[in-house]
Amino acid sequence: MPYLSLLIFIPVAAALATLLIPARYTRAFPWITLGVNMLQLIIFIAMTLHFSSGEGLQFAEQHAWISLSLNTWGELQAEYLVAVDGLSFPLVGLSVLIMLIATISSWNVSRSRKGYFALLLILNGAIIGSFCALDFLLFYVFFEFMLLPMYFLIGIWGGPKREYASIKFFLYTLLGSILILIVMIGLYLSVQSPERANEVVHTFNVLHMQHLENFIPGSWLDATSTGTWRLWAFALLFVGFAIKLPAVPFHTWLPDAHVEAPTAISVILAALLLKIGGYGILRFVYPVFPDGAVYFSDWVAGIGVVSIIYGALNALASKDLKRLIAYSSVSHMGFVLLGIASATTEGVAGAIYQMVSHGIISAMLFLIAGVLYDRTHDRLIENYSGLASHMKHYTAFVLIAFFASLGLPGFAGFIGEVLIFFGAFQSHSYNNLVPLWMPVVATLGLLLGAAYYLWTIQRMFFGTFAVRASYAELNDLTAREYAMLLPLAVAALLFGILPQLLLDFINPFAETFTGTWFSLGINTNP
Amino acid sequence: MSETITIPVLLVTLIIPLASGILAFAVKGELGRLVPIVSSVLLLAAYIVILFPLLSGTQLTEQFSVPWLSTGNHIIRIGIVSTPVTRLMATVVLFVSAMVHIFSIGYMAGEKNTGRYFGFLGLFTFAMLGLVWSANLLITFCFWELVGFCSYRLIAHAHEKPIAAYAATKAFLLTKAGDIGFLIGLMILWTQSGTLELAAVTTTPGTWSTIAGICIFAGVVGKSAQFPLFNWLPDAMQGPTPVSALIHAATMVAAGIFVLVQVVPVFTPDTRLIMTGVGVVSSLAGAAGAWLVTDIKKILAYSTISQLGFMILALGLGEVSGAFTHLLHHAFFKAGLFLAAGSVIHAMHRAAQHQPGFDVQDIRNLGSLRKQMPATFTGFAICAAALAGLPGTAGYISKEIILHAAQQQNLWWLNVAVWAIVFATPLYIFRLLWFTFLKPASHNLTVQEAPWVMRLPVLLLAAGSLTFLFRNGHLNSFASQILQTDLTVPAGIVIGSLMVTVASLLIGWLTRNAKAPATDFLIQTFLDGLNLLLVRFILFIATLARSFDKKWIDRFIHILAYGKVALAHMAGFTDKYVVDGTVHGVTLAARGLGGITRSVANGKIQSYLLWAIAGLLIFITWMLY
Repeated sequence: MPYLSLLIFIPVAAALATLLIPARYTRAFPWITLGVNMLQLIIFIAMTLHFSSGEGLQFAEQHAWISLSLNTWGELQAEYLVAVDGLSFPLVGLSVLIMLIATISSWNVSRSRKGYFALLLILNGAIIGSFCALDFLLFYVFFEFMLLPMYFLIGIWGGPKREYASIKFFLYTLLGSILILIVMIGLYLSVQSPERANEVVHTFNVLHMQHLENFIPGSWLDATSTGTWRLWAFALLFVGFAIKLPAVPFHTWLPDAHVEAPTAISVILAALLLKIGGYGILRFVYPVFPDGAVYFSDWVAGIGVVSIIYGALNALASKDLKRLIAYSSVSHMGFVLLGIASATTEGVAGAIYQMVSHGIISAMLFLIAGVLYDRTHDRLIENYSGLASHMKHYTAFVLIAFFASLGLPGFAGFIGEVLIFFGAFQSHSYNNLVPLWMPVVATLGLLLGAAYYLWTIQRMFFGTFAVRASYAELNDLTAREYAMLLPLAVAALLFGILPQLLLDFINPFAETFTGTWFSLGINTNP
Repeated sequence: MSETITIPVLLVTLIIPLASGILAFAVKGELGRLVPIVSSVLLLAAYIVILFPLLSGTQLTEQFSVPWLSTGNHIIRIGIVSTPVTRLMATVVLFVSAMVHIFSIGYMAGEKNTGRYFGFLGLFTFAMLGLVWSANLLITFCFWELVGFCSYRLIAHAHEKPIAAYAATKAFLLTKAGDIGFLIGLMILWTQSGTLELAAVTTTPGTWSTIAGICIFAGVVGKSAQFPLFNWLPDAMQGPTPVSALIHAATMVAAGIFVLVQVVPVFTPDTRLIMTGVGVVSSLAGAAGAWLVTDIKKILAYSTISQLGFMILALGLGEVSGAFTHLLHHAFFKAGLFLAAGSVIHAMHRAAQHQPGFDVQDIRNLGSLRKQMPATFTGFAICAAALAGLPGTAGYISKEIILHAAQQQNLWWLNVAVWAIVFATPLYIFRLLWFTFLKPASHNLTVQEAPWVMRLPVLLLAAGSLTFLFRNGHLNSFASQILQTDLTVPAGIVIGSLMVTVASLLIGWLTRNAKAPATDFLIQTFLDGLNLLLVRFILFIATLARSFDKKWIDRFIHILAYGKVALAHMAGFTDKYVVDGTVHGVTLAARGLGGITRSVANGKIQSYLLWAIAGLLIFITWMLY
């Protein structure tokens, strides 16, 4: 059964179907979307039952897609190749969950619902497609397809400064995809398919790109050449994905986009789109250019540490709740870079774990910000105090989300961070890729994280009740809001208490990642 | 009675407090009124579960461990380590917690949010027990953080009061600062020995071990409120008084000492020397603080800092069993003191509820309570005697052991310090006793003795602070198992400490009517000032980062964008004037050229004839040459 194609194309088909329904049936659109989400959830559960964690890539589907003979240039080959492994499977699961939550969160969108939900469905398919595609061209198509719905979702349904935010988001990400495109073309020209030994068949297959012997001797990115082209290619590709992550200094699109985006879109942005950055680094950048990974390891780790500290400092200085959460995302995604840079099993597993846990927790955080914004249309921290005495259930979820995010043991965030620290500290004596002072400095990020969250709680939720914003009613959580927050809280707790649930999937990938691919790079340690 | 009690018994002691906590959170409405009683019964049951095999001398030897997290070639296991040390600690924690639960029935009666209160109380106890039983340092760290979280939420129980919210935030952040050190220490230990199993952790002597030790100790400094991270503890008095009892006796601050007791064997001499130094400074500063402030709870808080410093000093000297015994004894008498103080505050609140400006926690406003609250007075006095280390009390034994250990070191500053503490402790606790219970009252309020649910825990804890419980019976054989030292100390020390104590009490008596100093300079002026400066500095850096983000990165992006737009305008200009200009130029040129040719082909037969002749002439000329 083509599980993955179903996951990817059911929402796309539903989006097309949505377009055929007249816009006046406004109630139909969220139900259709919800139905698609439920279907995806069922498919994903079925996949979980069939997934064997030790096996590497599975659920593979391979079909010829583009095949062009270019005479002396050889043959152009792009395939429809999708599969999942320990890296992508948890992220696909996360996508299914978050898209479901996002649909529930969008239930009361008022403006042009037809367009909104159609875009949401296209986004859904594109995100899952990006996580599954193993053909670079296919990935790129999905990657670009994510961009457009996002642009419109922010630009049409966003806040007051939505035009600025959406164009900034679009241009930034476009810059990233151009960098990726350049390297993709370079790789395409340099890699030949090993399937037909006698003739030169260029391929976009990422799995072929991960083997240095598939590089055509004398080509642009030939692994045996002594030139610096491969390092350049690593840097370009890395920056391309680092923009998406986002890492400092490529991050300023994020706070603006988050602040202006509607709640559901913020959730998707933080929980899923940022993960494409980390995923890209783990799937494309590191395995294809292990030599560059070794050469630039302290840069990668350094950018990670700077993101952690700088993001946290900016969060501390934020006056807007959503901006604070956005910067905390920058800080937390910095940990991902630190873990990857260590190139140890613990660090890489921790990075993947951190991506999943941040997906869950940041979704909660943005939903929480949305709950308040729905009621008062004001996000300024200084305009609130003592909310705890009026909104008890809401405050309980705020405490859960904040403490989960600042890395309290028992929640998923702690596992990811602690594994990353294990890896980063170990790297010093194991492969010497990350200098010891970097993880030490990074621990300060934990303290700053505690500082901005606790300070926010102290200012907004504790103290005497006062709201300096106009509001009709300041109710506690509604049933719909409960339905969004509770599953996420349970997931954060579950993966915090029983880490092996997730690590059983992740570990084999992390071991292969560090074991086979990295042994190639370590040898060429400059 | 079977000889071995299996691990399920220990697990039960862990599950009961958790269940009690969850129950308290979950039950709402009318049934919620039963929560305090049910929770107390549950905790008592847990205490009995652990006490029963302990008293019957049954061995609880089985170890239990399941893999929790594995990645790479490392496995973190969740395990229960059952040694005399952990069993004794768990017993004391459960006892104090049960007492605090029972006391809270009376103390929190009629209050709002009792569900949340008892919920976090149960969770707090669970977290502390998890920390005690844990066989792996990473799991210990997990529970360690959980303990911090619970104490945060309990300190901020009255969250409507801004000052309580502030105190909770401060407590969490200062302890978190220490925890960062703990985490780094764990990482170093882990890279060194490849495991975090308590039984297997080793260090190779060297700088790294010292650094690892100092880092772990930093965590303890935060948690156990030692210099320079101790200023959260006096502020934490904003929490309900029973919570303070729990924090000070059995859970939060005790966690630090307990972890040290377990890991101190792998510490290097350098680390231990630093520990001794920190212990000396903290115990002296704490004693001084206790003498200088007048808030009844703050005096006790400073006293805790001092006592914990005393234990850390002992641990630094390698006197592990002395320090651990003192921790257990301290749990009894400090919990008793706090609960008695809670009774006093509770009673005074009731008595003075029609006098809004009356500060019931200022000892200068109290007095004569001995007659009005005799049971509370008895309990308080016994616990105070134990704190002062009077013979016949539990505090006496452990104090003598630590004194003996300090005496054996040839460090003059250490000896000065320990004797100063022996002198100062009776002084400040006598002052507290005098002002609260003995001195004639300056007010004429009628104060009622606390209800029995509040008196009973105080008296039980006071009984626990007396020696006979420890010298006789099964607990003693148990204690001697871990002490592994005889309780005999040289006569010189016994006599000397007795004389110092008596002198201290005498001076206390003589100066009893002197005006009480009432200053919190240590905390408010010095440490809080430093903290504030640090916070200001961090906030300043944060604002700097924010403006950097806005002014530089975003401006750079904007300049790029403007540059692009300018480029686009230039391209537009080029398009309009250069490219289009060329095109227009070409058309113009073509038109001009066309004009010329047109003027040639003007349709006049004469000019055609002229061109034809000219052409012919040129042709002939060309042919001839």
